[in-house]
Amino acid sequence: MLKLNYIKNILKVSSILLILLQLSCSQYKKRENIIVASAGKIESLDPAQANTLRTLQILSALGDTLYKINKEGNLSPSLAKDLPKVSKNGLLIDIPLKENISFHDGSIFNAEAMAFSLNRFRKIGTLNYLLNDKIEDIEVKGKFLLRIKLKQPSSSLASLLTSVNLTPVSPDSYSNYKDSFNNKKFIGTGPYFLESFNSSQQIIKPFKNYWGEKPLNKGINFINYSNSSTLFGAIKTKEVDVLISNSIDDLQRLTLNNMAKKDQLKSGEGDPIEIGFITFKSNKLPLENKVVRKALSYTIDRELISQKVSFGTREPLRSIVPTQLHKKEFKPWPKYNPNTARSLLKTEGYCGKEILSIPLTFRSNVPADKLLALTWRDQIKRDLSDCLEITLNGIESTTVYKQLSEGAFEAVILDWTGAYPDPEAYLTPLLSCNKLNNNSCLKGEAVFSGSFWGDKKLQELLEKSEELEGENRLNNLIKVEKLAAQGGAYLPIWLVNPKAWSLKDISQPEFSKDGLIILKNLERD
Amino acid sequence: MLWIISSLVFILLRIAPGDPVDAILGTRANEFARESLRIKLGLDKPLINQYIEYLNQLIHGNLGISLNTQEPVKVIISKALPASLELAIFSILIASLVGYLIGFLGAVKPESKIDFSGRIFGIGTYALPPFWAAMLIQIIFAVLLGWLPIGGRLPPGAIPPPPITGFLLLDSILDKNVEIIFSSIQHLILPSVTLGILLSGIFSRALRLNLEEVLKKDYIEAAKSRGINNSRVLVKHALPNTLLPILTITGLTVSSLVGGALLIEITFSWPGIALGLQEAINQRDYPVVQGIVVVISSLVVMISVCIDIAIAYIDPRVSY
Repeated sequence: MLKLNYIKNILKVSSILLILLQLSCSQYKKRENIIVASAGKIESLDPAQANTLRTLQILSALGDTLYKINKEGNLSPSLAKDLPKVSKNGLLIDIPLKENISFHDGSIFNAEAMAFSLNRFRKIGTLNYLLNDKIEDIEVKGKFLLRIKLKQPSSSLASLLTSVNLTPVSPDSYSNYKDSFNNKKFIGTGPYFLESFNSSQQIIKPFKNYWGEKPLNKGINFINYSNSSTLFGAIKTKEVDVLISNSIDDLQRLTLNNMAKKDQLKSGEGDPIEIGFITFKSNKLPLENKVVRKALSYTIDRELISQKVSFGTREPLRSIVPTQLHKKEFKPWPKYNPNTARSLLKTEGYCGKEILSIPLTFRSNVPADKLLALTWRDQIKRDLSDCLEITLNGIESTTVYKQLSEGAFEAVILDWTGAYPDPEAYLTPLLSCNKLNNNSCLKGEAVFSGSFWGDKKLQELLEKSEELEGENRLNNLIKVEKLAAQGGAYLPIWLVNPKAWSLKDISQPEFSKDGLIILKNLERD
Repeated sequence: MLWIISSLVFILLRIAPGDPVDAILGTRANEFARESLRIKLGLDKPLINQYIEYLNQLIHGNLGISLNTQEPVKVIISKALPASLELAIFSILIASLVGYLIGFLGAVKPESKIDFSGRIFGIGTYALPPFWAAMLIQIIFAVLLGWLPIGGRLPPGAIPPPPITGFLLLDSILDKNVEIIFSSIQHLILPSVTLGILLSGIFSRALRLNLEEVLKKDYIEAAKSRGINNSRVLVKHALPNTLLPILTITGLTVSSLVGGALLIEITFSWPGIALGLQEAINQRDYPVVQGIVVVISSLVVMISVCIDIAIAYIDPRVSY
């Protein structure tokens, strides 16, 4: 009897505790702010140091850029009053600035502040070479007029000015941070101000004196989880309102898409900005042989790989520039054709007795890379086992990046996201070469990308494009890409769209042209 | 010992492929930008100079500054270590409670159904891959049943109490913040129960085996033959004699948990020291990796010394 009472008491106490725990949980469900979740920590909110999508995402809500890319894909003024005026020799760019804009600390945004921010980035920015390679000097020509002196004409500079890294910061608040990073604070001109910051959660609130369209929500809590399963579970259990796709596994991405189709979630998709590709090291046999590289470009069944790896969520890609940036259909890389591949390999003495063996390196900490490598290997085994074999080698990504320019990998799976939405942001980092020996690049971006491939004509076209504008420039860049496809040092595989899912009582997520979710448009019904 | 460990970590990090400059700038930065950053971070100096500087700082209690965030390593550790310790303490409590209870019951009634179930439980929990068990528990209790939060230390939007000790539960109690007390308990339940259950298998098997052996000793027979009842024989005579190996196993487990439980921390997004170490290794943030390893090693040494002292205190045969 005594024992029974004892058990009853334990049950009573446990029940009370459980009810209290559930009550404390439900209080947080009545939330005012919208909870946006993604993977990866934010260690610094300094635009001069930002290099992860997650950091750029929050900075895009806290700050503004001089220009933005509008829905039509054209440059449109944001903090700038008008489009940049370029001098006849192409070396001077005048940018008129909007007036009556204030920073979150109340100080006035003007040309001095913009010059301060750009010069600060040039001095300490981790990506400062993007500006320093092009800009000679920055001058304040008037209270609201900025002049940029270029080293040489550069038509891509205007697109570069849309980069979130170049969002202006208040000179008053950053006076002690001219030469160092201000990691935990951000004082900009954006629609939100930073209310609190720690590496796992950032809270932003609407800025009352914002000059543009006001946010539709009462604030955003930006949180991070360390893995895809937890992120996936968090939106399924409604612990978070919006989930950003940057680190969601493909299977979970598919499930979320299906939930959106069944009207259990809302989903939004941006223009694809990330490309996945294979780099071939072209300065050593057998891949030094252009015909072999060309044969390889026929061996990949992109549709099959997209289905097997991502259930069709990654769009097959036959160019190294995201499709929408060309503004027209352009696919210079050949379609999958094992017969052509076989006949090309035969001309080089492969197939039958001699089988070409390609060691393919993939980043072991990127699940999609591993699946791509396995699928391609098995597809080759199925279609071209008499001519070609792929051997796999998984290496952690930090090591891959370090050894890429050392020529450690014959073939390696990589991805690339342009710093700004322009074809040049994809072509230059992969193809540019400063020192060439025939088709072997000795110095330049092609070395860093691990291909060591260059082409004199391509380089000339790439340099010429800096002097061209509009349609002419795009056509010129298309010629560059055609030459790259003929060179065969890269094999584009797929495009990845930025995607976000929101709960049903939250508005559909919208994306800007640079692949970032527009946080101020999120609204709770 | 600590000097050897810190030197080894220093050397191994430099030998390992990968470069903090790459991790910060990406691989596309030009040579000038890379060299500037290398100078700024002090990575341009000869290795021996870097090593001497590192040891000098270490002797003076300075763990350096993170290459990535420019934050003092001490601060980074002081934020992450309490989270790991909090998880470790609760896990050990759960593991001890569950494991020793099962082991005790099994030893008292050998070859019974309880004993058989306990042995299966011990082997099963020991053999379970932690990440799989953690994900399964997460899916069942957080996603399907929705009883407990999926991860993290606090719900999104909750303002943590002012950090006094760094232990969230303790700080929220000191802050008298009832909501945060309950929230932190809620968030602690899944990771600590998962880890506790996984560890309890070792505890139950250790206790069962040792107790079973002790119960066969002559002095136990002698005690029984003197008419002392079974409960008293167990509690007064058998259990104290199983305490030494149990204490050693518990100590070793605590030591291993001081460095965090990486897979549990990753699965439950628990912002502990193991997660911090993993991120620092990925970014090749040398000072953070070195700092964390040195602090963890010091704690492990301290715990081992404490256990040795405790054993000497408990067992009169041991003297130093």
